[in-house]
Amino acid sequence: MNKKPTEKELEEDHAEIDYKDTSVRELLTLMKDDSELIADLAYAAMVFDNEELAEEVHKLESEMDKMMYLIRLKSMLGARTREDAEQLSGLLQVASAAEQISDAAEDMVSLLDADVDLKPILPHLLKKADEKVFTLKVEEGSDLANKTLGELHLESVTGVRVIAIRDDLRWIHGPNGETKLEGNDLLIVRAHEEGYQKLWPVAHKEKTWEELLG
Amino acid sequence: MKELEEKLLEMKDTSELMLDLAYSSLLYHNKEIAEEVFHLEQKVNDLQDSIYTKILENKDIDPDKSFILFKMADSIERFADAALDIADVVLRDIDLHPVIKESLKESDEHMVRKKIRKGAFLDGRTLEESEMTTNIGMKVIAIRRGNNWAYGPDKGVKLKAGDIIFTRGPRDSEGVLDEWIGSPE
Repeated sequence: MNKKPTEKELEEDHAEIDYKDTSVRELLTLMKDDSELIADLAYAAMVFDNEELAEEVHKLESEMDKMMYLIRLKSMLGARTREDAEQLSGLLQVASAAEQISDAAEDMVSLLDADVDLKPILPHLLKKADEKVFTLKVEEGSDLANKTLGELHLESVTGVRVIAIRDDLRWIHGPNGETKLEGNDLLIVRAHEEGYQKLWPVAHKEKTWEELLG
Repeated sequence: MKELEEKLLEMKDTSELMLDLAYSSLLYHNKEIAEEVFHLEQKVNDLQDSIYTKILENKDIDPDKSFILFKMADSIERFADAALDIADVVLRDIDLHPVIKESLKESDEHMVRKKIRKGAFLDGRTLEESEMTTNIGMKVIAIRRGNNWAYGPDKGVKLKAGDIIFTRGPRDSEGVLDEWIGSPE
């Protein structure tokens, strides 16, 4: 089960994603979801002064550029009348907003390349936000290990959203319902303090998932 | 420095609210919500100006840190601008492309609009008491009561029957939310 990916698989992971058969509707959904993810990742990279997370932001941004190009291309091919063109130009404006967000997120994390010690100002800064970014370690043998996010309904039960997972080898950003948590995974989550406090004991084997559900 | 941090934080929270509202205005083709995004932009701009002034006035902040703070504020302002661009599409007198709504409905972040019924679980509870965010991961981004709107309501706001709430959160929480708003008489 817990098979580690081979070097080749890791490489394929990072190979170019082909969106040729992706529809305009799917592209727009992806771009919106990615724009929210990339902003969260960028704040997380700043808060934890983490260059690997910054690297994920760069990767996601270049995916975003590709999607922007394709959605533009497909929309142009789809316009038959003036009305089509007007409506599609609105759609492209929404897509382009998502792309702007990813550009701004990338600019934000580019600060991590500068040789400045961020730690004294930034963690402090985001501590009081409504929803904060936390790290959470999944302990081996805890009730979170070997469960998918979908099985747990993690977000709808605790309000805690997993934005990235670091396993032994790599970062997984924007996990979905099928993503399985494993022992020793390090999660980057976005949550309200209360939700995080609710989940922490379960990840650290102090409570069972059943107890959390009450 | 503390004041500066608070302002930067307020800017971040406001820009996130603007984006939520912008997408919500798009989903429901709602011009009132879209206009609120424009009002909030003014707030973000004012915050940005005051942050810049505070950085420049503060002699304890060295140039490196100033640079970082400038850049952070700049990125956040660009998030807010993106929200503005989205809301702008709603304010034009052009029908929205049907694909926009379809793709928003498939987004990870599920947005819904619900009316609270008399005697429902949410009727008479504050947002905090409802534990909506911690129990089902849903966030209320706007409340409409008659002709009045509350955008980004804080947790002390009490919900009442007849209120229309606009929320965002995980898709599988919608069932619970439906129970909480009660059923029509």
